[in-house]
Formats: sequence, structure tokens, C-alpha cells
Amino acid sequence: MTPLIIYCAIGVGLLVLLLLAVRRRPSPAEGSAEALLGARHALRTLQLSLLPPELVDRFFARDDLEYVFAAAPKEIQQLFLEERKRIVLAWVSQVRQQIVSLQDFHFGHSRHFVQLSLSSEIVLAWEFAALRMACRAFYLLVYLRGPYGAPQIAGKMAATAARLCAISEKSLAFLTPAESRAIVDDSAHGSAPV
Amino acid sequence: MTPLPKHLDVQAASRDLRLRTLSQIPHPLDRLIYLASMRDYNTGLYHHDGLASRFSEEVACEALADCHREAFRQLLTSSLEDIVNQLQAYMGASRIDPVEFIAAWKDLKPYQVAVPAETVPLSAEFLFSNLRIALAILENRFRMTPPAARCASQPRSLGR
Repeated sequence: MTPLIIYCAIGVGLLVLLLLAVRRRPSPAEGSAEALLGARHALRTLQLSLLPPELVDRFFARDDLEYVFAAAPKEIQQLFLEERKRIVLAWVSQVRQQIVSLQDFHFGHSRHFVQLSLSSEIVLAWEFAALRMACRAFYLLVYLRGPYGAPQIAGKMAATAARLCAISEKSLAFLTPAESRAIVDDSAHGSAPV
Repeated sequence: MTPLPKHLDVQAASRDLRLRTLSQIPHPLDRLIYLASMRDYNTGLYHHDGLASRFSEEVACEALADCHREAFRQLLTSSLEDIVNQLQAYMGASRIDPVEFIAAWKDLKPYQVAVPAETVPLSAEFLFSNLRIALAILENRFRMTPPAARCASQPRSLGR
């Protein structure tokens, strides 16, 4: 009698497992094309639109501030500070958003394409976390103290983001064929979607 | 003779455009507006008969788009003081009363249609913001200047 019960229990167990396996939603293909394209888009947006040094320098250019304070009355000075603050806050938000996209790709998908050592992964995780925190802190500082409140943090944030972009670029290098990479490099000055 | 690869053709056409036409227009703001005027707003395609006859319609279009993006980038990275000077020169060359010009630019915001296609919204917004401040500075300057002295104070743009 006892072996029959055991066999029945095993049979029921297998049936339940089978049902669970059938009912389970198909998981997205690991390292799906969507994730790759999303990461590639985030990388391009950061490198070509949000982090070019000449653009970042312009956002925080002190000569603009000095010019407005020397050449314009108080209400225009106020307008200038408000406009710059709005732009800088939008910039920080967008940098953070794209960094989150890249981070999601790294921790969700990149290991399927690129072999990273454990130490590299830990360093990368730390850098992403530090940058996200820096973005938040910088946003708060600009919100409270204005666009010229923390110029050093802006520079460091942009430099860290650029370093992470370089690491991500290596992970995604296989997506860019050599020929088109040459063209992109060649025309980087002429056709970047700034 | 083997035809040039397309991107080399576009580079050659861009060089030609810079040499023959854009070199006569000294300021990025003027170049931006000039190149935007070469674009058909219904299709987004650029037309330039001379360039198209030397290269092809498609290559001319891409070269104009490249130069348009370049002018945008140059204006975007100009200092605020430089933008004020460029705007003042453009205004002077238009020969319209500065007060009327500023009022029209503040109301109609014609610069908003002068940005290249696929410009990142933040970059466009940064330029618009700088132009708004430049207009405010010029408006203040001209409000304080007597009408007779306005013409004399406007620098002339060489390209117009």
C-alpha cells in the first residue's frame, strides 16, 4: 500500500511541475535585441548629445554669467539664472535617465555578450551607483543654489559619465561594424546629433 | 571612372558649399537661418540648384543638412555675448526697426523652425533659451537708446 501512495505522490508532483512549466510565461530572450538597441541609444545620446565637453562647458560658463551681470538689469539677470537652472536641471535628469538605461543593460544583459571579470563587475556597479548618487546630489544642489552653485561636481559627474560610456562602448563594440565605426569617427565632428 | 562612395561625395559637396557660399556668411546665426531657408518644410528636404547640378539632388541635400547641423552646433557653443552680437548684426542687416524686430522675434519665435531635424530637444531648448535672453538684453539696450542713435549702434553683417 505504502509504495502505491509514494508512486501516486511522485506522479502528482510531476504533474504539478508539468502544469507549472506549461503555465509559466515565456521569459524574454536573454540579451534581447531590444535591450541592445536601448543601450546603444542611451550610449549615443550620452556621448553625442549630453556629454560633449563644449556643450557641458557652455551650460556652466561663467563668462555668460559675468556678461549678463555686467550688461543687463536685475530682471534680465533673474531671467538668465532661471533659464540656466531649468536647462541644467533638465540636463542632469536626462544624464541620470540614460545612465540608468545603461546600468540596466549592463546588469541584465551585457554578461551574455561580453565576458567581464568579477572585479570589473564590482567596479562597474560601484561607478554606476556613485554616478547616480552624484546626479541626485547635483540636482538638489542646483535646485537649491542655482546653476552656478556646484561647478566642480558638474565637471566630475560629466567625467565619470564619460568613463562609464567608454566602458559601455567596449561592451557594445560588436554592434558597430568596423566600416561604419570609421565613418562615425570621421564625421563625429560633422554629424553628431547635438 | 569609379563613382565616389556616397559619404565622400557628401563631404566634397559640403566642402564646396562652405567654400563658395557659407564663407561669405560670417556668423553661425546667419548661416543657420540661411540653411534653414533651403529646407522644404513639407518634406524636410534641402534644395540647392547649384550644388545639385554639380553633385546630385540627394548628395546636395545631405551636404546642406550637414552644414545646417554644423551651424547649429557652432551657435549652440557660442557665448551669450557672442549670440547677442550676432543677433544685433542680423537685426541690423534686416533694416527693420529694432523695436519691431525684437517684438516680432519675441512673439513669433522664428528661430524655433530654424533648427535642424532630429536635434536633441535639450540642445534646441538651450539655444532658444539663449536667444530669449539675448532678445531681452537687446530690447533693454534699444529701449534705453534714443531712436536716432539706434541705426548708428547696429553693427553691419558682412554676409548680408
